[in-house]
Amino acid sequence: MKKIFLITINICLAVLLFTACDDFLDIQPTGKVIPKTGREFRALLTEAYSAFPSDRGKTVFRSDELVLDNATTTSEGLNSFLDLWRWMDDDVDENTSSFSWRSFYYVSYIANTIIEQGMSMTEATDSERSQLVGEAYMLRAYTHFVLVNLFGEPYTHCNPKQTKAIPLKLNSDVNAILKRNTVAEVYASILSDLEKGEQLLNVETWDVGYTYRFNKLSVDAFRARVYLYMGDWQNAYNYAHSVIEKHGALEDLTTSKTLPSHYKSVEAILSMEDIMPAIYQTEGKISPTLLSLYRSGDLRKSKYYRQVTASVSTLLKGGSNEYSCTFRSAEFYLTAAEAALELNDLDNAKLYLISLMEKRYHTSTIKRYKDEVNNMSQEELREKIYNERFCELAFEGHRWFDLRRTTQPELQKTYQGVTYILEKEDPRYTLRIPSEAIEANPGLAD
Amino acid sequence: MNTTRVKYLFISFFISLSVWAQNRTITGIILDKADNEPLIGASIAVMSPQGTVAYGTTTDLDGKFKIEVSPNNHNLVCRFIGYTAKTLHLKSDKNNYTIYMENAGKEMDELVVTGYQAIDRRKLTSAVTTVKITDEKIGSVRSIDQALAGQIAGLSSVSTSGSPSAPVKLRIRGISSINGTQDPLWVLDGIPLEGTDIPSMEELKDIDNIYQTSIAGINPTDIESITVLKDAAATAIYGARAANGVIVITTRNGKAGKPQINFSTKLTYSPKSDIDRLNLLNSQEKVGLELDLLQSNYTFRENKGDVARIISQYGLTDAYKNGGWNALSPEAQSDINHLRSINTDWNDILFRNVFNQEYNLSLSGGSDKANYYTAVGYYVEQGNVESVKNDRFNVTLKTNYRVNSKLKLGASVFANRRKQRSYLTNYDGFTNPVYYSRLANPYMRPYDDAGNYIYDVNIQHSKGDIAPDFNIFEERHNTSNINTTLSLMSIFDAELKLNDKFKITSQFGLQYDEGSIEKYSGEDSYTMRREKASAMYAYIDGTRSFLPAGGSNKITDSHSYQWTWKAMAEYQQRFKDKHELELMAGTEIRHADASTLYSAVYGYDRKSLTSSPVIFPSDNYARQFPLHTETHTENAFVSWFATGSYTLLHRYTLGGSIRFDGSDIFGVAKKYRYLPLYSVSGLWRVVDEPFMKNADFIDNLSIRASYGLQGNIDKNTSPYLVGTYQKVSILPNNSEDIIRPGSAPNPDLRWEKTQSVNVGADFAVFDNAISLSVDYYYRKGSDLIGLRMLPLETGYSSTTINWASMENEGVEFALTTRNINTKNFTWFTNLNFGFNRNKILKESVAENATYPGREGYPVGAIFAYKTAGLDEDGYPLFVTKDGQTVTATEFLKLNNAGASTLTAEEQRNLYTYIGTTDPKVSGGFTNTFKYKRVSLAINCIFNFGMHVKTAPSYSPTNYDRGLNTNHDILNRWTPDNTNTSLPKLMTSDERPGEYIRYSEFGLFNDLDIWVKKQNYFRFQSIRLGYELPEKWLRPIGVKNASVSLEGRNLWVIASNYDNYLDPETMGNPFAQPIPKSFIFGLNINF
Repeated sequence: MKKIFLITINICLAVLLFTACDDFLDIQPTGKVIPKTGREFRALLTEAYSAFPSDRGKTVFRSDELVLDNATTTSEGLNSFLDLWRWMDDDVDENTSSFSWRSFYYVSYIANTIIEQGMSMTEATDSERSQLVGEAYMLRAYTHFVLVNLFGEPYTHCNPKQTKAIPLKLNSDVNAILKRNTVAEVYASILSDLEKGEQLLNVETWDVGYTYRFNKLSVDAFRARVYLYMGDWQNAYNYAHSVIEKHGALEDLTTSKTLPSHYKSVEAILSMEDIMPAIYQTEGKISPTLLSLYRSGDLRKSKYYRQVTASVSTLLKGGSNEYSCTFRSAEFYLTAAEAALELNDLDNAKLYLISLMEKRYHTSTIKRYKDEVNNMSQEELREKIYNERFCELAFEGHRWFDLRRTTQPELQKTYQGVTYILEKEDPRYTLRIPSEAIEANPGLAD
Repeated sequence: MNTTRVKYLFISFFISLSVWAQNRTITGIILDKADNEPLIGASIAVMSPQGTVAYGTTTDLDGKFKIEVSPNNHNLVCRFIGYTAKTLHLKSDKNNYTIYMENAGKEMDELVVTGYQAIDRRKLTSAVTTVKITDEKIGSVRSIDQALAGQIAGLSSVSTSGSPSAPVKLRIRGISSINGTQDPLWVLDGIPLEGTDIPSMEELKDIDNIYQTSIAGINPTDIESITVLKDAAATAIYGARAANGVIVITTRNGKAGKPQINFSTKLTYSPKSDIDRLNLLNSQEKVGLELDLLQSNYTFRENKGDVARIISQYGLTDAYKNGGWNALSPEAQSDINHLRSINTDWNDILFRNVFNQEYNLSLSGGSDKANYYTAVGYYVEQGNVESVKNDRFNVTLKTNYRVNSKLKLGASVFANRRKQRSYLTNYDGFTNPVYYSRLANPYMRPYDDAGNYIYDVNIQHSKGDIAPDFNIFEERHNTSNINTTLSLMSIFDAELKLNDKFKITSQFGLQYDEGSIEKYSGEDSYTMRREKASAMYAYIDGTRSFLPAGGSNKITDSHSYQWTWKAMAEYQQRFKDKHELELMAGTEIRHADASTLYSAVYGYDRKSLTSSPVIFPSDNYARQFPLHTETHTENAFVSWFATGSYTLLHRYTLGGSIRFDGSDIFGVAKKYRYLPLYSVSGLWRVVDEPFMKNADFIDNLSIRASYGLQGNIDKNTSPYLVGTYQKVSILPNNSEDIIRPGSAPNPDLRWEKTQSVNVGADFAVFDNAISLSVDYYYRKGSDLIGLRMLPLETGYSSTTINWASMENEGVEFALTTRNINTKNFTWFTNLNFGFNRNKILKESVAENATYPGREGYPVGAIFAYKTAGLDEDGYPLFVTKDGQTVTATEFLKLNNAGASTLTAEEQRNLYTYIGTTDPKVSGGFTNTFKYKRVSLAINCIFNFGMHVKTAPSYSPTNYDRGLNTNHDILNRWTPDNTNTSLPKLMTSDERPGEYIRYSEFGLFNDLDIWVKKQNYFRFQSIRLGYELPEKWLRPIGVKNASVSLEGRNLWVIASNYDNYLDPETMGNPFAQPIPKSFIFGLNINF
């Protein structure tokens, strides 16, 4: 009897335990989550934004914006950037900072995940849902755009249909092995993503602090830049014009204390990329060639740079995420001017250029410069637009790409008495795909 | 009812007898045969002629007894727990007896403790080895994981480092899985221990992050025996965690009898190791090398090295390059010659001889009703590296009670406090003193004549000489790294024996570990300078660090807490002395919590213990220098298990076990929560067959066989994207939640399964003079989970997949022989070894992989490019598969950017299999001799058939002339030295494709010349012991005492390990060498 009683008790206990166990095992790990709701997908997309690499800023070490020397560069800086700066791609030091590859595709991965799953998210309105997915399309397009311009030959200097550039990653499948797509395929995919983005985005403007997110206006802004890089002048003009129509405000440097690239500036359209984080901003000094382009009365020189000694100036815009900037109005004045020029519409070109210059030069000098521009020939004006673009957008991640897509001039740099030359149309205008990427996917060497 | 009545009848019958027959009084004393000590509380029973107990008594405090016996009774049975029962035949003319009882130690051996059950060895169907822990056997070891080296067939052990706290990597029967831990499960008195996994130890970080497993907290002196469960039949009961085998520790218990006091001490002297084996360049050679290089066209870091510095100071660099030595001014020549005259012996000044101590005191005893074991231990070990130190203080309390004939209770507490002091290597590898001693130039001095630090400007991998100052001694004085661990383990157990068939047992275990790692760096240290340099900010008034002046102190506190509760019901039944049935079923619940708290302060002053606030210029900086972080993890496990065995005619046993393991798995469907594991096994005791009756010389002959299935699931990979919450602010003053994805999701991930078969035989002859166990095992793992490298375009660098199936096959032998056994002299030999062959049956090789798949090869396969010396320009030549000798460019079809234009598959096919990293044979060989009071034990271990991929002596493209290296560089190819196999120092302009392949793609590491054979036979311990004569000891109240002298790691016989300190740590330049040591031991029993 006693035995049976005990066994019964044991069985009862066991049954009780079985049912209690599921609760016992239901542990929500601290901080872990599988995104399902709108809020969670937003947090996931925010990770993609925050992980977006600052590589457009890193190109300042490749272009002619900066001079590195032992006096103004830290040893860390020399280790990381010297070989990049003197275009020593063969004999590169092991500590040299390389351009991102995986980090860009990590952003794409998140974007692709949201594109695939976003429409089924819970606890979100339809407009929130389509806004999120729209942003994901924009982010994917922008990732491909930066990648193709870092690692692919410029659209304007190659046969886009033949030249292979970078692989397009259009899904979140981690098992796929990709091959490189041609430049034309990448651009086509960017434009197609932009179209989808346009259909889905519905937020006109974001509140301060959230302006790193794509809004409706950013679609045309992005298109203007894409067409400019493709040398499609008519489209570049049309979209630049459209951006200025909707968001033409410029920071008037004669009165304003805000830098145009500041995220709170009236010019800001999209403030996503932290272009010049402190690790870049503190290294080297401003190239004397660039400084010499700022003519007397140009208010940008003292706003953008701090003169430390007679020969050393350092960068002021940067070193903090306050200067996060992806698209801002001034770029589109310059794009419109350049496109108009190439379309032989000199009047419009001058008009756009002068509209910008009026906000950048001291009132006492602006008249003289206006007259100068108005008297320029097409060639002179092209040179002027290039220079003005250099001065306006220096250290915002444009210069290297502008050099690539335009004339690819010869550049010279000197370090400790040795001169390094980047030849005109040098193949080094296109970066090599990082060796670790080739190691992980040897197909990229083809 | 009936029997009771019969008993009454008998008793009344005896009483009535005593009325008319003369009863006699028997007196006596019961003594322990081993030490002649009285046994208190032993029972003496008077047996009736029918063989049942009539009545009885117990011994008093002096071990004496007195009992009335009728003339009809001729037998007394004496019993004492833990001792063999003894029957005393009464002689009619003798009324006073001295009875010696023998400790049933041998009999206890017949029970094998698995942690869940104690199984009668005669019914043991699985592959299990038990080792009794004695000084003779293991010698002087600091922790129990060290003790197992060479003791058990099929268990291989590799020391990760010679530092005082380094854990030992143990592998039971090869590697079964690549993913996750390969470490066995440790069980202390039935409760599985947490925190026993060892990091891979391949990286500097792992070596220098002073790390200890919870095993290190257990005092080896407290351990009675260790049981290693090897096959699936034995481990299935432990579930998924036991896939790598189980090591069960049984600690000492008090024995009934007079209190025993034991004191032991070990005093160790360990001289510093001699680094002559490294073949480093001396000053003369190093200066010569630098002079040569400066004149050559090898320009990598041309400004490094004191020679280049001196020449450049005099402005003679170009002159020297063109004109050589004679173009130098006499001052420059004399400065350089002065360098040649300095010969700093870094080994001598960075390392030291040490003296270490260990003391243990234990008190134990008990009676029939209860026993106790109480011990304290203190141990301190100093490393050969200055100020590296490890100490441990242990307290162990164990008590067991027999409440009544049915209920037994036990409680034990194991507490210890450990403190490890080591050096701080937060940044570069050269701050590790072992590594530094190999890199520092012999012409460098650490101090100038005034005793000030001289900073080493050559050591750092940087372009300019403007990196933060570094001096190894300053670093050692102004930084510290201390890990303090407090660990408490408590076990309660209860056993309720309802009758002789049914038993319920329950056990509750609690493990609590608290650790604190304190990393201090003073203001005047490289670590601090380096950290400040990484915190520079351009303020309006100039660029400076935003970290305040002063040092830093970073403390990581960790708490881990687990409890395990298990309850089991056991039932056993015999039918007609033919059938024996044992059944057990139970449940186990485990819950584990772990949390860490990290806190950092800057501007720290060690004297006043004060710090200064950090004013961060922006949020981004604040994130780079976290001042406070916390983590918390929680896991829960529920299991059900059952085992059963059926024995027929005492010789055929069939066993089986099953277990369901449930755990919290996040992001996985609930149906995957419970994982079934099972095993079946059988035993045939051939020796008990009737036809063996005549073979009296055979003591044992039995055959075992088992089959089992184990499984495991990767908890970190989910079919969904699983992220963790973090905070960021992309734009200023706007902090937002983000979800950061973890590992790449894989919806196709399946359970990995391992099937094992074990067939074994045990054989003993001539009164166990020769006993041999042989086991064959075969393990097949399918759907094994592993990491696969992904193309970076996926956004990830790797993912977890079911990548392979693999088999392990092996044979283990354990042979114990009693070679000579005379009254005065005995000689025992114990030889055990295991062969293991591991093969990957199927492996999914990623399309993008350039390193070959291991299908058909062992899991530790090393592949390399076959080379054939050098070409006429001093570049390595490669051998293609069809036997042609070609250059690297032709071999890999390199383009000018160093990338191979071959497809991934073609690149894979260029490799040749060289060998495996795992031993083919490993084992131990122990001889113990005893002559009268002197004993000698020689304990050797061996590992054969391994290969190791070593780091090249120098890189042909990136050799930094500011660093010292071994003699290989002097034998490199030069136009004057063409008869060599070591390549020239290359320049980028000559063969750019090859140059980049060597400098960026690490081609040099893949050459077959760096794969070395690793075979060794180590004299691990030689121990000479002497038992002091009792006549000396009695007068001072000592029962027995012994002294010993031991030498550890005195010799190693190994295949060529030139340029390395020890064959065991060959692959790792950061590891402290395994020291030689000499130990004096004293053991006293009161």
